[in-house]
Amino acid sequence: MKTKIRNLAVFVCICSVITLLLAVTNFITAPIIEENQNAAANQALMEVMPDAQGFEVVDISTLTLPATVTEVNKETSGLGYVIKLKTAGYGSDMIIMCGVTNDGVVTGAVCLSSNETLGKEKTYGENFKDKDAAGVESVDIITGATKTTEAYKNAIKDALNSVVILGGGSVDIRTEAEILADNLSAAFPDGEGSFEKMFMVEYLEGIDAVYTATNGKGFVFAVGEQFVGVDTDGTVVTEGVEDATLFTNALAVIKATVTEDIDLTSFPDLAKHVVSAKKTASGNFILETKGAGYGIKGGNEYHPASGEYIIVRVAVTPDMQILDCITVSEAETDGLGDACADESFYGRFAGKTVNDYKEIDAISGATLTTDGYLQAIERAFNAVKTLNGGAENE
Amino acid sequence: MNKNTSASVLLNGILKENPVLVLILGTCPTLATTTTVDGAFGMGIAAMAVLICSNVFISLLRKVIPESMRIPCYIVIIAGFVTIVKMLVQAFLPDLYVTLGVYLDLITVNCIILGRAEMFANKNPVVASALDGIGMGLGFTLALTLMSTIREVFGAASFAGIAIPFLENYKIEFFTKAPGGLVVYGLLIALIYVVTHGRAPVKKSFSCEGCPNAGTCHGAACEKKGAES
Amino acid sequence: MDVKVLIVILLSAVFVDNYVLSRFLGICPFLGVSKKIDQAVGMGVAVTMVMLLATAVTWPIQYYVLNTLNLGYLQNIAFILVIATLVQILELLLKKFSPSLYKGLGVYLPLITTNCAVLGVTINNIIDGYNFLESMVSSLGCGLGFLLAMVLFSGLRSKINDSKVPAPFRGLAVTLIAASFISLAFMGFSGIVENIFA
Repeated sequence: MKTKIRNLAVFVCICSVITLLLAVTNFITAPIIEENQNAAANQALMEVMPDAQGFEVVDISTLTLPATVTEVNKETSGLGYVIKLKTAGYGSDMIIMCGVTNDGVVTGAVCLSSNETLGKEKTYGENFKDKDAAGVESVDIITGATKTTEAYKNAIKDALNSVVILGGGSVDIRTEAEILADNLSAAFPDGEGSFEKMFMVEYLEGIDAVYTATNGKGFVFAVGEQFVGVDTDGTVVTEGVEDATLFTNALAVIKATVTEDIDLTSFPDLAKHVVSAKKTASGNFILETKGAGYGIKGGNEYHPASGEYIIVRVAVTPDMQILDCITVSEAETDGLGDACADESFYGRFAGKTVNDYKEIDAISGATLTTDGYLQAIERAFNAVKTLNGGAENE
Repeated sequence: MNKNTSASVLLNGILKENPVLVLILGTCPTLATTTTVDGAFGMGIAAMAVLICSNVFISLLRKVIPESMRIPCYIVIIAGFVTIVKMLVQAFLPDLYVTLGVYLDLITVNCIILGRAEMFANKNPVVASALDGIGMGLGFTLALTLMSTIREVFGAASFAGIAIPFLENYKIEFFTKAPGGLVVYGLLIALIYVVTHGRAPVKKSFSCEGCPNAGTCHGAACEKKGAES
Repeated sequence: MDVKVLIVILLSAVFVDNYVLSRFLGICPFLGVSKKIDQAVGMGVAVTMVMLLATAVTWPIQYYVLNTLNLGYLQNIAFILVIATLVQILELLLKKFSPSLYKGLGVYLPLITTNCAVLGVTINNIIDGYNFLESMVSSLGCGLGFLLAMVLFSGLRSKINDSKVPAPFRGLAVTLIAASFISLAFMGFSGIVENIFA
């Protein structure tokens, strides 16, 4: 028993001595380790703001910053901020670190983590160094890596906006879609915030775009930056519109629009590629045509049986100008060719003529899709020619 | 264990009883940390530091530590020194700390250290134990450095992080991977056999015969099983 | 609790990050006690049991004792003592209550104290920030991975014993090279488990 107690005492003593040694070492090394860790964490921050003295994290939970901002670090000597952003690039999230001075100049930008196909984001940040808001705007998007570089550029803009907000200023941080929705609701409150872009089948003098309220109560006309709401009776509801004739005329044209189906059975050649054709009383054609896209099966063959083609609805004037264009259906690759269903793509065709419609930028990385799309539009033009009595030329 | 001169104690660990290549101890760090020369050398030095400290400490206390409680005592002492070394590395060599990761903690269960405590330090005076620690530590470091040199030069075409230009296009990545480590270790042991014409006490197989943990298990695992079969 | 996460942890511990074959933890018993398949199974089961028990004890110690008392630097000592004590207790209990099981597993238990796989898995669970359930699953995976590697390797070794090996390679050298083949085979699993639910 006695030896047992002695043995245990020895063991406890050894444990105590070792623990003491550890405590002493810990006391010496702990501050150094903490400093190292801070230095490592600050390294990325220093990279984008080389003149910085130190950083402290800003609590952003109470601030309304752009949604991409995940972390804000304030430079301790008052140079500015380093902002961490997370944005969706091409198929993956990019974590971007961007340093901005208090007066809105980018001191540096790096992409900390990404999984982009082309790797353009690795060096793209260098373009923004020492640029202010206007300078950032002028940085070119890299052709072939549009999605990646656009997302990058928008993130930098968000960082600049955040610094303005952090400095006590206010910036419009709404997305384009949000701005549009706000403008539409302001112009026509009866629309209850729900609007649809109208497919234009008539040329409306002086009007850029028409939105219909989905509850059927009226329309909003867009002219440049101006949005004007008109109800179905023709009363302009938006305040401050001096001359309403432009809009009442446009409304009259819309109301008077009559379309008539064209029977394609007498045009067997057209029926192959044209899904449907309509004609307005004013002589414009509304055509839905097919184009052979890349297709979900990867072949570029025109494949009517499985429907692997793009269907495009185009409104064309008799003198071969596109009034409006929209993608009805497509079976293109996710993340690549399916960009043809975005308004940012098909919206580019409005106003183009038979001579210059091919000049639009191709969808990056989806040449076959773009070719198929142009083919569908070409067929629409050919159909207009044929239906107007000319010869089909394909 | 001969108690001849200090030099022989020192050299013993480096050559005749090299812990890695002859005694086949500490296989885990030998395989895991030898992908780069930096990491292997760092592991060698860290283990050596722990080995020297624990050897000295245990030798000092060899008359105090009771026989029945010796293994827990050794474990606590070793684990303590491992933690001290770990904290020092973390504070002063943060890069190495990241490279070694959990293997730094696992020096605690490196058979060499408990083995030397059991086989040498608890029977010998302080100076000899310190020399034994230095010798064994150097032997361990040398073997690790040798193995990592082979793996890094052929696998990554560099030495201690410095690129070797003319090998750039002939990298054999296999060497840096887990199976490559096993192959290199196997080849080195075979090479030792050839160089010493089979005189080195290369073990016929890996079992409890030379295992320092035999002290803990009293050969229970191997002998009993052997007797039954 | 997301079951998918647990399944991924389990499968990657068994196949992809196999403790023996890709991290080299527990390589000593892997090389030493894999000559016969019954030895391999006994050792594997014993290691799995100790890993689970050790994790069940060390995880609460880390989070409720060491972290709350700000004594993180005692982790190593605390964990190795817990493992050593557990092994002792398990051995005593087995001897007393289940002599048949003790006969099968008990002999391997003392070897496990200094098995780096056990200390490794307890520390890794903390480093990886797993919660208690995830830690237990990861320990189970590591144990099963160890068992699997041991059993596969013991099969391979019985073939080696029957073959003519050149003198320099006899013994450990050929064993290591054979282990390399198993390790190479396991490398084939990498990239599979991560994408299993993708």
